[in-house]
Amino acid sequence: MADGDDRRPPPGSRLLWPLLALPGTVWLALLFVAPLYVVLAILFGGVDPILREPVPVWNPLNWDFTQFTYVWDHIVGHAPFFRPALVRTVLYVTISSVLCLLVAYPVAYFTARYAGRWKGVLLAALIAPFWISYMMRMLAWVNLLQTDGLVNRALSVGFFHVHVDWLQGHATTVVLGLVYGYVPYMILPLFAGLDRIPVPMLEAARDLGASRWETFRRVTWPLSRTAVVVSLLITTLPMLGDYFTNDLLSGSPSTSMIGNLINNSVLTPGQTGQAGAFVLIILVVSIVPMVLYVRSTRSGQDVMT
Amino acid sequence: MAGNRLGASRRAVVKGALAAGLSFPAMSALLTACGSKNTSTTGAVKIPSPDAPVTWPVSKANTPIEAGLTPKAGSTLRIYNYADYLSPRVLKDFEKKHDVNIRLSTFNDADEALTKVASKELKFDLYFPSYDSLGKLITADLLRPLTHDYLTNYNNLWDSFNNPWYDRGARYTIPYTIYSTGIGWRTDMVSTDIAGMDNPYDIFWDTKYAGNMAILDDWHTAMSMVLLRNGVTDINSTKQSDLDMIRTQLLDLRKTMRPKVTISMYTDMPDGQYGLCQMWSGDAINTPYYLPKSVSPSVMRYWFPPDGKGEVDNDLVVCLAQGDNPVAAHFFMNEILDNHVAEQNFGFTGYQPPLKKFTPDTLVADGYLPQNLSPAIVREQDFKVGYPLLQLPPESDTAWHQVWQEFKAGG
Repeated sequence: MADGDDRRPPPGSRLLWPLLALPGTVWLALLFVAPLYVVLAILFGGVDPILREPVPVWNPLNWDFTQFTYVWDHIVGHAPFFRPALVRTVLYVTISSVLCLLVAYPVAYFTARYAGRWKGVLLAALIAPFWISYMMRMLAWVNLLQTDGLVNRALSVGFFHVHVDWLQGHATTVVLGLVYGYVPYMILPLFAGLDRIPVPMLEAARDLGASRWETFRRVTWPLSRTAVVVSLLITTLPMLGDYFTNDLLSGSPSTSMIGNLINNSVLTPGQTGQAGAFVLIILVVSIVPMVLYVRSTRSGQDVMT
Repeated sequence: MAGNRLGASRRAVVKGALAAGLSFPAMSALLTACGSKNTSTTGAVKIPSPDAPVTWPVSKANTPIEAGLTPKAGSTLRIYNYADYLSPRVLKDFEKKHDVNIRLSTFNDADEALTKVASKELKFDLYFPSYDSLGKLITADLLRPLTHDYLTNYNNLWDSFNNPWYDRGARYTIPYTIYSTGIGWRTDMVSTDIAGMDNPYDIFWDTKYAGNMAILDDWHTAMSMVLLRNGVTDINSTKQSDLDMIRTQLLDLRKTMRPKVTISMYTDMPDGQYGLCQMWSGDAINTPYYLPKSVSPSVMRYWFPPDGKGEVDNDLVVCLAQGDNPVAAHFFMNEILDNHVAEQNFGFTGYQPPLKKFTPDTLVADGYLPQNLSPAIVREQDFKVGYPLLQLPPESDTAWHQVWQEFKAGG
């Protein structure tokens, strides 16, 4: 009995963890659940007859599904004019994320493993883009990519005269803009993940006869997989809702993404509820990478074990 | 309508939360909404037109201010306007003269502006709309009737603006600038003589200039251009056949021409981003200012039908009831009707004020714009033969917006 009493938690400790979780729970409720409910109240609400402004309906029993049906019909129905923007978004975001990873992983790897005493300087250099606003960085590219801008001039060597209209609705420009804008966000979590890999494990692999490539494939990559998934999440999710990059670097409906559909709907009287439908779609779609992340975290723990 | 189920509107919540999208910090909007007031927006909206002028009733909810007051020293005047549509010098001079602080917020298009003004939470004192939204603003009781005792410069206006059709007696509005909508191009980037074409609007569908052009990010202005191209002069048409034609040709334009959809032609075209665009005359007048030094202003061109049978409009200044500083608002309205101040403003924005001092025939000689851009001058008679953009009936408004939505979605 005495042993059993010793294992009993000290008085009050049953409340400790719920109390510690309380601020985070309140935070989540206020900044996630409440706004999400507002979005739903707008999406399934009404429209002011004169100003065409949205009128939220808070009682789910009175919800009107017209706006959602309209969006849904134009994604999967007979006149699916929203669908190309959705497909485009998936395509742009996938390509951009892969390119980001191809750029970020070697940079993070080098910084974590080989930078030596320059590690601090390199890290500061990697963080430097965060000091300048995203908008300013994109505006700088607008100047560089103009028809008579520096990029075309740099490409015009000798007898060649390069005249590429980069800013006239090219998917390539939008994708490169996304890569440029989001790659710093990917480097940092990758660096954090790679820097934590114990060096003795890598040395052990080499001592056991593994080549450099095998060491990377069988030790470094599995141990950094969680960091890769986290960094992909950090960049992919904001990219899904991005509209600004396309607005500045293209401005053409031919490269519209779902973020542009949301922005246009929010700012158009009578269509604000439709923006809620698009937000809901992004939310559902973003659950997939979240699940992947959770699974990856578990498998990462398995590898560590 | 579901909209009638709730009397209470929480529009600020709507805007904040939706704009936040997946970034969740929409709490500020939620808190803002707690203080929002109800808006009564029932009843039919009158639609003024040159053939059916409207005298708006004086608002019972928003009373005119008393005469003889002066702006409170140190107070803030909140102005809501298009970007680069007010001279910074004019603003600074007004601040200094009346000891007030001006806070200028900007919008990109009329829809966005109306959405934010309707929220009432931003406390704007002055707003610069077009007359196609005037009926909505008045019916929703968003405007404060003007006290004309403050508008001592009102007589500087062209006579035709003394008693405008959209607001008989100028109870709520003063005219701000006048402009036409036409075609702008650079001769060093576009070789076609657009002004000499049988139908200059066809240039927007000439694949020779695909990827080298832009149209205005303003649904009504862009869509009415399609009507004018096809000889339909009712640019506020409610016919389904006209709307179908607009849809077909706009989608064709998107597919074949890859147009940029923007309102920043006045900087983009001088920058060399494209050489051809749908353009407002004021922006055309402003383009030489933004050209690089290496490019001569003589390359800029603007076309508007020489007989005046094109889109001609004027913007307005209104005093919003939501503002806290209506006295300073009235002083500012009077200030921009002053000849000298209007001249400064014209010099910066390129948009012509409808004041007697600025005679269209002498604007080139007076150095306000170069000869090659003289078609951008708006004349008093243009308003007699030109076509204004009017507010559309709700059903047509929705239908037009849906076509524009389809165009912009890139589907």
